This record gives sequence, C-alpha cells and structure tokens, in this order.
Amino acid sequence: MSESNSALLKSPESVVKFLDGVRDRIGTVVVGQDVVVERILIALLTSGHLLLEGVPGLAKTLLVSCLAKSISLQFARVQFTIDLLPSDILGSEILDQRTNEFRVNKGPIFTNLLLADEINRAAPKVQSALLEAMQERRVTLGRESFRLPSPFLVIATQNPVEQAGTFELPEAQLDRFMLRHRLQYPTPTEELEVLKRNMALGIRRDGPGAVARTEFDVMEDRPVGTIQDLVEAMEAAAAVHVSDTFLEHVVDAITRTRNHPDIELGASPRAGIALIKAAKARALIRGRAYVVPDDLYALAPDVILHRIRLNYEALADGKRAEDVLVEILHDLTRGKQAGKAREAVALAAESRA
Amino acid sequence: MPLGSTGRGAMLVFCLWMVGLAWAEEAPPRPPTVGIPRRLEGLVLPGTELEAIPSADRKAPVMVQVLRVYPHGSLFRYDIEYTGLEPGTHDLRKFLRRKDRSPLGDLPAVQVEILPVLPPGQVKPNELTIEKGPSLGGYWMLVTALGAGWVAVLVALIVSFFPGKKQGKRGEVVHPPSLAEKLRPLVEGAVRGDLSGSQLAGLERGLLAWWRKRLDLEKCDPSEALERLRRHPEAGPLLTQLESWLHKPGPAGVVDVQSLLEPYRNLPAGEMDTTGGAA
Repeated sequence: MSESNSALLKSPESVVKFLDGVRDRIGTVVVGQDVVVERILIALLTSGHLLLEGVPGLAKTLLVSCLAKSISLQFARVQFTIDLLPSDILGSEILDQRTNEFRVNKGPIFTNLLLADEINRAAPKVQSALLEAMQERRVTLGRESFRLPSPFLVIATQNPVEQAGTFELPEAQLDRFMLRHRLQYPTPTEELEVLKRNMALGIRRDGPGAVARTEFDVMEDRPVGTIQDLVEAMEAAAAVHVSDTFLEHVVDAITRTRNHPDIELGASPRAGIALIKAAKARALIRGRAYVVPDDLYALAPDVILHRIRLNYEALADGKRAEDVLVEILHDLTRGKQAGKAREAVALAAESRA
Repeated sequence: MPLGSTGRGAMLVFCLWMVGLAWAEEAPPRPPTVGIPRRLEGLVLPGTELEAIPSADRKAPVMVQVLRVYPHGSLFRYDIEYTGLEPGTHDLRKFLRRKDRSPLGDLPAVQVEILPVLPPGQVKPNELTIEKGPSLGGYWMLVTALGAGWVAVLVALIVSFFPGKKQGKRGEVVHPPSLAEKLRPLVEGAVRGDLSGSQLAGLERGLLAWWRKRLDLEKCDPSEALERLRRHPEAGPLLTQLESWLHKPGPAGVVDVQSLLEPYRNLPAGEMDTTGGAA
C-alpha cells in the first residue's frame, strides 16, 4: 500500500516531539502505565474510541484529564449509573419560561474528550445513545442536528470485577470501540514511586482552611501542544506507510479468528481496519514512518479480543479468549497453515517432487 | 330390528363363549401332583379342635399343616394345607389328632387325591438328555459376531483419534514438511524475485518462526519474542533488513536479498521439526 507521507516528511521530528511531550507530561503525574498512555495516544491520533478495563484506583480518570490538559482539549466526565438517561449525556430541549420557547441544552458529550466512567452500569438505551453518537459524531436534539466537536474521543471504562447490576455491552456495540485495553496493576517499583509521590503532595490552603492535595492539583495547566499540533500528528499518522506484506499479515490474523475451532464469532472487517489504523499510529509514536509486524503483535489483543466470541465447547473447556488469541498469534508466527496461506506448502511439495 | 346372518353368527359365538366360561368356572380343580401344596379352606369338621400330627416319618405319603382354626358355632372351621409325596388317594384324617388328645370319634374322612408326575409304573425320574444345539448360527454365534463388530468399530474410532504417519501410494511414510522444507522454496522464490505478496508474508513469518525456534522463544508471548529477537546480535540485523525490504517505503533494491537470505537457502531438512513452518 503506497501512501503519500508528505505530512510526515514535512516535520516528523516536531510530531514525535509533540507526542513525546504529551507522554512526558502525563509521566509527571501518572507513574508507569506506559502502554495505556500509548493506547490513549493511538486512539487520539486515529479518532478511534477506547475502552479501558480495570479495577478502580488505577488512575484512569487522572490519566485522561492529564491528557486533556496537555493538549488543551475540552474534557468531560460522566459517571454512568443505572438511572442515567440518554438526555443526561446528549442534552435536551428545555422550555425557557422567560421567553416561552424551547432552548437546546447540550449535554456533556459536546466535548473533545469524554470519559464515560463505568459504562456498563448504565441501561442499554443509554449505552446505545452514546455509541450511536460515537459512531455518527452527530447528535440530534429536538429537530436540530448538531455535529460533535473535533477531535472527539470517548474513553470508556469498565470494572471487570463487580458485575452485579451491570449491563454487559454486546459484541455489536463493543465493535465500535477501536481498542479495548486491560489495565494492569503497577509493578512494585512503580507502586513505590506512586506512594512516594503521594506522600510528598502535602496540603493545599483553601481560604482559612486547607485540604489534602491530590495528583489533580499538581497537574500543570500549561499545555505542551495545541489542537493544531494534534491535527498535524493525526495527518502524520494517516500518512504512515503500510506495506502489502503487513496487509497480508493482518488479513491472515483476522482470517484465522474466523476459522478457529474455538471461536464462534470471528473478528469483523472493522477489526482489520482498526488494526491498520492503530498500527500506523503506534509506528508514528515510535518514530517510524512505516508499520512493522511488531505493531501487529502488540496491538492484536487490544483490537481483536473484544471482537471475538468463543463457542460453547471452548467455554466449557475453560478456555479464555486471551488464550485462544495467543494461540492464533503463535500459529501466525509459527506459520501453521490457515485459510489461503497454503501456497508455500504447495510450493514445498512441488520442490520435493 | 331383525338380525342379519352375520349378527346371528356373532350372537351364537358369544353365547358359546359364555357357556364355556360358566363351565370352566364350575369345573372342579384338578388334583395336585406330587410335591405341589394345596389348601383346603373353610373346612368344618365336627368335634373338638384338631391339630396336625407332627411327622417324623420321612416316608409319609402326605405332609399336613393346619394353617388357621376358626370357631364355627360349637364346631371349628379349618384352613389346611397338604402336600402329597406319593400319588394316590389319601385320607387326611390319619394325619390329624384332637388337641385335647381325645379320640377322633365320628370325624368324617377327608379324602384327597395326589396325581403322579411320571407315567404309571415309573419310579425313577427320566434320564437326563442333552440336546445338541445347531452347529452353525444360534445365540452364541450371534453374540460373538456382534461383540467382534463392536470391538472393531471401537478400535477404528480410537485409531481415527490418533492419526499416525500417513502412508504414501507406494507404502512409504509421508512426513509433513519441516520448517526448513517450507522455507526453502520461499527463499529461492525471493532470490529469484517472483514471490507474491502472501508468499513474502509467509517468508517473513517463516524466518521469524525459524529464529523463535532456534532461540527457544516459542512459548514466549509473540510481541515479547519479537522484542527479544530485535536485541539478538544475529536475528536483530536480519529483522532490520527484512523491515527495510518488506515494510519500509522507498526505492527497491536497497537490501541485497540474495546475501540476506543466503544462510537460509540450504537449511538441513531435519533441523526443524514439523511444528513450525512458513505458511
């Protein structure tokens, strides 16, 4: 696939410098979580949405708000609950009693960066309303249709532990998230650093009283880049070169999810598209103007896992989607045959004959 | 309504059946044969209460047991069970006595008949004769055949779960191609420059597989394995060259494919087993 990479060639250093600046700024507040930061940047550069799955207390909100401040993006956070209504997110028309006319009251979705906290706690109609807006980037209130601001990115979170009183997102809606990343606990060294930094926070005077300072208080307000820088980075990501060989790798990986005996629902074509987009953004973040197989293997779990469903037999055997995907990736690198990739074996048979 | 000929016939059959049934009900029961117990129930006998004489005689022709005794006015009513051991007619009175040991007096005879099982005059039982079964077929033959068939099907099923080495047409054992055998034509094709896109992808994966196997990184996470390969002094430059050749944009011919793939042209066929392979 030959693409023009003029945007990248124009100022690759400035784009990489901008992205490094964002990462460094987040690093001043959040310890570790390098992979999550990278995934958030990928989502930002590709206008894909991100679903973060992790237990509470892993600095998800801090991370997202720090990112928003780093690039002077508008940021809104909605805590999803069972009694949330679609209008609480999208907005609604309200009657202005002074003028006796309806007035549009835009909801928190009209922002650049929306953190949908614990998305699985809201009723399905709320989830659907949000996911439709994510897909169309447009919201209709009353008779008027409004475009969402650009860039627009939804970062949703899910708690994988407490499932009581939650509404699991169906596969069709999960598919709208470009990436689903599972957050890990910090390493002992990182955790030690977290504790040391927290102890050093002290208190913040507030009028005659004082409150304990949090990590939100130490965030620097001065952004490291503007939305224009972000747009340039997005253009540069779009211009990253993708070779035919890489496309073959992606198609093979996606096809294997559809032919695997343990998988009932394989990855959709959207998964392949997301994999390519994400790989391009990852390549840019790592200072490359082209994608390599490393990008595929690193991103495959976050792109593919939420798009496949195991069949009953595999579940009954206690298999997990993670294990099946690892098996597929192993087979891919081991070169086990699948689908159309049998030509080489045919060649081998020919040569022996 | 007058009956037709069919109706009259049916009526006649029904009447005959009813008569036969009544006759069958009224017919006296057949006397028991030797060794078969029989009961006399509700037998009213005069005098004081009777009981069976305990028998110590092993050759007694009849065994008698008084099962129940009921008062019947000034008399007694008995349920008696007897078992004949000798055919003929016997008087049960001989095997009864008064409980108060008074004489039997005018106790009427209680005649019972015991039929023989054997023909008259035959004292010993029939000689045992063993009939020979049919020489071919029969139950055991059928069971044996079914059992053998079941075992054969079971063995076939078990064997189908463990596919062994496939046999070629001429009987030689056909091994699946090893990684080296799969790589060889791809390497040759790459040197000639006539590989398709999917074959180039297969070649890259095959080389990765080769190094993963060689450095024992097969059980490692694929992403982590690649990172470690990049740091390896031999595999790292290869990956960088592959990157430049297959993924990096720019003019072709920057990489000398022939010298890059030279070490992989004549890999020994048996060096890598069949678990790996270039697709």
